[in-house]
Amino acid sequence: MSKDNQSITKKQFMKELWRFKNGSISRRQFLGVTGLGVATSVLAGAMPALIPRKAWSASDIGDRVVLATWPNYHDPANFEKFTEVTGAHVQVNVFGSNEEMLAKLQAGGSGWDVFVPTNYTITTYVGEDLIEPLELSKIPNYAAEAFDPRFSDAGSVDGTVYAVPKNWGTTGYVVNNKHTDGRKLTSWKDFWDISMNEFTGRTMVHDYQLTTIGNALKYFGYSFNSVDPAELADAEKLLLEVKPHLFAINSDYQPPLRNGDAWMSMCWTGDGKQLNTDIPEMEYVLGVEGGEIWSDYFAVPRGAEHPDAGYALIDFMLDPAVNAKEVLAHGYPVADSRTNDLLPKELLEDPILYPAQELLDALEFGAAATLTDPNRAELLARFKAA
Amino acid sequence: MKSSLVHRLLLLPATMWLLVMLVLPLLVVIIFSFGDRGPAGGYVPGFSLDQYANLPARFTAFKNTMILAPAGTLAALLIAYPLAYYLAVKANPNIKTVLLVMIIVPFWTSILIRTYAWIYILGGQGIPKMLEFFGVEGVRLINTPYSVLIGIIYGYLPLMVFPIYVSLEKLDKRLLEASQDLGASPIRTFRNVTLPLSIPGIATGCMLVFILLMGEFLIPALLGGGKVFFIGNALVDLFLQSRNWAYGSAVATTLVIVMLLTVSIYMKLMMRGSNIREEVSLL
Amino acid sequence: MRVSSKDSVVSFQNVWKRYGEVIAASNLNLDVQSGEFLSFLGPSGCGKTTTLRMIAGFDQPSEGDVILKGKRVNGVPAFKRPVNMVFQHYALFPHLNVADNVAYGLKQRSPRPPSKEIESRVSESLELVQLAGYQNRRIWEMSGGQQQRVALARALINKPEVLLLDEPLAALDRKLRREMQIELQNLQRNVGITFILVTHDQEEALSMSDRVCIMREGEIIQVGSPRELYDNPLNRYIADFIGKSNFFDGVVQKSSANDLEIRLNNGAQIVAANSRQHNTYASAAPVTISIRPEQLMLSRRVSQLPDEKAIVINAAVRNRIFLGEHTEYLLYNEQFGEFLALSPRQNEIGEPPFEVNEDIHISWNQEATLVLNHD
Ligand SMILES: Nc1ncnc2c1ncn2[C@@H]1O[C@H](COP(=O)(O)OP(=O)(O)OP(=O)(O)O)[C@@H](O)[C@H]1O
Ligand SMILES: [Mg+2]
Repeated sequence: MSKDNQSITKKQFMKELWRFKNGSISRRQFLGVTGLGVATSVLAGAMPALIPRKAWSASDIGDRVVLATWPNYHDPANFEKFTEVTGAHVQVNVFGSNEEMLAKLQAGGSGWDVFVPTNYTITTYVGEDLIEPLELSKIPNYAAEAFDPRFSDAGSVDGTVYAVPKNWGTTGYVVNNKHTDGRKLTSWKDFWDISMNEFTGRTMVHDYQLTTIGNALKYFGYSFNSVDPAELADAEKLLLEVKPHLFAINSDYQPPLRNGDAWMSMCWTGDGKQLNTDIPEMEYVLGVEGGEIWSDYFAVPRGAEHPDAGYALIDFMLDPAVNAKEVLAHGYPVADSRTNDLLPKELLEDPILYPAQELLDALEFGAAATLTDPNRAELLARFKAA
Repeated sequence: MKSSLVHRLLLLPATMWLLVMLVLPLLVVIIFSFGDRGPAGGYVPGFSLDQYANLPARFTAFKNTMILAPAGTLAALLIAYPLAYYLAVKANPNIKTVLLVMIIVPFWTSILIRTYAWIYILGGQGIPKMLEFFGVEGVRLINTPYSVLIGIIYGYLPLMVFPIYVSLEKLDKRLLEASQDLGASPIRTFRNVTLPLSIPGIATGCMLVFILLMGEFLIPALLGGGKVFFIGNALVDLFLQSRNWAYGSAVATTLVIVMLLTVSIYMKLMMRGSNIREEVSLL
Repeated sequence: MRVSSKDSVVSFQNVWKRYGEVIAASNLNLDVQSGEFLSFLGPSGCGKTTTLRMIAGFDQPSEGDVILKGKRVNGVPAFKRPVNMVFQHYALFPHLNVADNVAYGLKQRSPRPPSKEIESRVSESLELVQLAGYQNRRIWEMSGGQQQRVALARALINKPEVLLLDEPLAALDRKLRREMQIELQNLQRNVGITFILVTHDQEEALSMSDRVCIMREGEIIQVGSPRELYDNPLNRYIADFIGKSNFFDGVVQKSSANDLEIRLNNGAQIVAANSRQHNTYASAAPVTISIRPEQLMLSRRVSQLPDEKAIVINAAVRNRIFLGEHTEYLLYNEQFGEFLALSPRQNEIGEPPFEVNEDIHISWNQEATLVLNHD
C-alpha cells in the first residue's frame, strides 16, 4: 500500500479484490454480517489454487480441516506449511461477528473443526453445549503457565478448559493526523465531538453493537459493558446525533481510511498497526476513559467432523515459532511468553500492540451479558435503521 | 369427474411446490411475528401485537426502500429503454451480438464483487477525483443515496434491458413504416406505435426490478456504508445480528403486505391504462 | 431530361437503386397518369417492391429522380409524402381497434381535425370498404379479408394522391381474391385516386389495371394496356408472361415494309405481317414467332379454312379439354412439335368436336403471326 495516501493504484485495487475474494477483508467486515462470509468461503473453495491437493504424506488426520475465523487474522504461509507437514488442507471460513458465529453453530451442521471465539462468548457456547472440552494432551504446544492469565482465563469455565488463547488486543480508534491541525486526540469524547464538527462525513464506527455502543457509553464515562437502560438511552441519543455526520457504519474501515475517504474510525489493534505501518499519520488512540480489551481463543465445536485435524491445527498454531510468524503478519499481540521471546524488541515495545499501562488499566473485557443483551442489540439495529 | 381428478393430480407437484416453497415459510413468518424474542435471541411462542406496535422504529428503512426502489426502477427504465431500443432496432447485427454479450458477461461474476468495485469507483479516489480534474470540487458520492441509486441502476440494468429488448425485437418493423406512411414523424411513430407495443416489456422489467429492489440489501450495505438502510438490511440485522426473529418476522410480514399492495395497485394501473398487455400477448 | 407530362402524378426519371452489388432498379423511366390504375408485374425479386418503396419514400433512389405531382421528392421522408400504402400483410396496429387504425392518418395531421370530423370520416371510410359498424372491433377479431379492407380504409381516409398496394391480395384465398379484385376496381373508380399495384399474378394485373408495367431484373420491359401487351408484346418474355402462346424460333430471311419472310429452325418457311415498327431486320436476325392459341384455326378439311392463311399444317389431336365456352386442344405435328389451340364453342356449330387421335388441319393468318425479338 502506498505511504503517501494518494490514489489507489490498479495493482492495489486488484489486491483488494483478491483479498476480498479470499474473504480476508478487515475483521468483522459486514459481508460477514450480511451472512455472505459463508458465500466467500464457498468462492474460495471454487478457486483451483485452493482446492486441496493430494497430500504427499497423507497422515491419519485426513485431508482437510475447516477453520472458522476472522479476516486478516492469519499468515497464509503458515497454512501452507501446515498442509505440507500434515497433508491436511486448511479451509477457511471468514466471519463478520460473534453473533453470526453463534447463529451458525446454533443452526447446526456448521462443518467446522476449529473456530475462534472471543472471550465474552465462551460461557454462552458452554451454556448452549456447542463447544467441546479440550483434550489438552492433543495440544502439547499449549503450556498454560506460559500464558498471561488475563488473556487465558476466559478459556476455562468451571475449571474445564474449552479454549486456548490465540491473540489479544484492544479496541481504540485510528485517526489521520493530517486532518487535525496538529491537535492530538486522546479520548472517546474527542472522537465523538470531532466527528460532529471538523470531521463531519469522515468518521466510521463499527457495525458491531459491543464496540459502537460501548464506546458511545464511554463518552459519558459509563461502563463499556453497561446494560443500564438510562445509560443506554444516553448512548443512543449520542449515536443518533452523530449518525448524519458519519462516513459509514461499517467494520471494513481500512480501505476508506487508506484512500482518504474516511479520516477516523473505531479500530482494532492489528488494523491500527497495519495502517500505522503503511501510513505513519494514522495514529492509533486508546481513549483515556477506557474501552475494550479482548482476547480471542481457539476452540473445537461440538460435532467437529475432523477433530484430529482440528487439534493438529491448534497445536501447530501454538508452536511459538509459527505463532511468532502469525504476529508479524497480522499485528495482534499474543499472551504467550515463549512466542514473545521470539519477537523483535521493537514490536514488543510498540505502543499500538502494547499500550501504556495506565491506558490498559482503564480498559474492560467485554461481558457475555453485554453481547447477548437484547436491548443493546435492538439499540444498534435502531441506530442503523434511523 | 375423471378428467378433473387427472387435472388435480397433474397440478399436485406444482401445488406442493407452492405450498412448501412459498406458503409454509410465509406462514412461519406470520406466526413468528406474533411471538417474542427468546432470551438469547431467536423466537419464543406467544401472541401479541407488540412486534407490530414497534414497527415505527423501522420507519426510515421503509421510507428509504419506498423511495429508492421506485426511483431505482424508474432510473433503470430510463437508461435501459434507449439501450434496448438501440440494440433491437438500430444496432447492426455484429455490434448487437457484442453488446448483448457485454451485458451478459458481468453476470459471470458475483454481484458482490462487482458492487465492491463500485466502492472504489464512487469513493474519493474515483469519480469525485475525476470531477476535481474538471474543476468540480467536494463531490461526495459513496455512502449517500446517490451511490446506492447508481449501484442499483448498475446491478439491475440488465434485468430491465432484456424484457424491453425482447418486446422491441419482436416488434414488426412494418408497423413503423405503416405509421410513417400515414404521416407520423419518427418521434410520433415512437410514441404511437413503438412505445405502446413495448409496454409488456416495460411492465415486466419494472415489475421484476421493483420487486427485487424491495428486498435488496447488498447494494445499500456496500454502497450506502450502513447509512442508507433498506428494509432488507433491517431484516438481515434483525435475523443475524440482534437475532430478534419475532420482530424481524413482523417487519418481513409488513414488507410482504406493502409489496403485495404496491404491486397490485401497479397492475391495476397498467390494466386500466390500456389492455395492451393482453392484446399483444394474443398476437 | 424528359419532361413528364402535365397530369402525371408519379414520374420516374432515370432511376437506379442499388443494394451493394444487387441492382434492384435499373434506369427506370415511367409516368403514371393521374387517376389511372397501374400495375407492376414481374417475377419474384424483379424490383417491384423496391420501386413502390421509392414512391412511398421508404427507399431513396441511388441515382435519378422521383417526381411526385411535379415535385422532385428524392430525400423527402415517407411521412411527408402525399401517398399511402397498403402493406402486403396489412401491418395493422395490433394495439388499436379498427376505428383507431383507420383514424391514425387523420390524427397525425396538424392541425388535427376535430374528433367529430374524424369520427364521421372513419365511418365513411368503413362504409366505403363495406365494414360499417366495425369501429370497435379488435384487429385480431377480423378475418383476413376484413383486415384487408381495414388496411384499405386506413389508407384511403387520407385521400392520398396515390395509393400504393404491395401484393394486397396475396394472403387471401382464391375466391376472396377474385371478389376483392372486383371490389378494388370499383373502389378505384369511385374514389378516383391513382392506384399503383404490385403483383406477380398476371391475371390480377390484366383484369384490374388500366396499364401494366412489366419488370424483369430491375428493368421496365414494357408498359401498356393489357390489350396492347397481349396483342403486341415487345418480346418473347412478355408474350410468354402475358397469356399462353405457341412459340417457334427462326431467322429473318427477307424483310420488307409489309412482310417478313422467316425460316423457322424446324425447316418451315413462313411469311408474317410486319405490323410492328421494328421493320428493319438484318438478314439472319434471330426471332421468335408467336401464335396465340385462339388465333389458330382448326378444321377437318382444308377447304373450310379461310383464304388468307399463312400456312396449313397437318396435326393429330393429342388431348382435349372442355372449358365451357372454349375447348382446349393439344395438337401434334412432326415438324413443329406441340401446338396449343383454343376453339370457341360457336365454331363447333354444325360440326362435332375433334376427337383425340383424329388427324386435322391447322392454320393461322399472317396478321396473327407475331414476330418477336429474342429477349
Ligand atoms: N434492403 C435490401 N438490401 C439488399 N438487397 C435488397 C433489399 N431490398 C431488396 N433487395 C434486393 O433487390 C431485389 C429486388 O427486390 P424487391 O423486393 O423489390 O423484389 P420484388 O419484385 O418485390 O419481389 P417479390 O415479388 O418477391 O416481392 C432483390 O434481389 C432483393 O434481394
Ligand atoms: Mg415485393
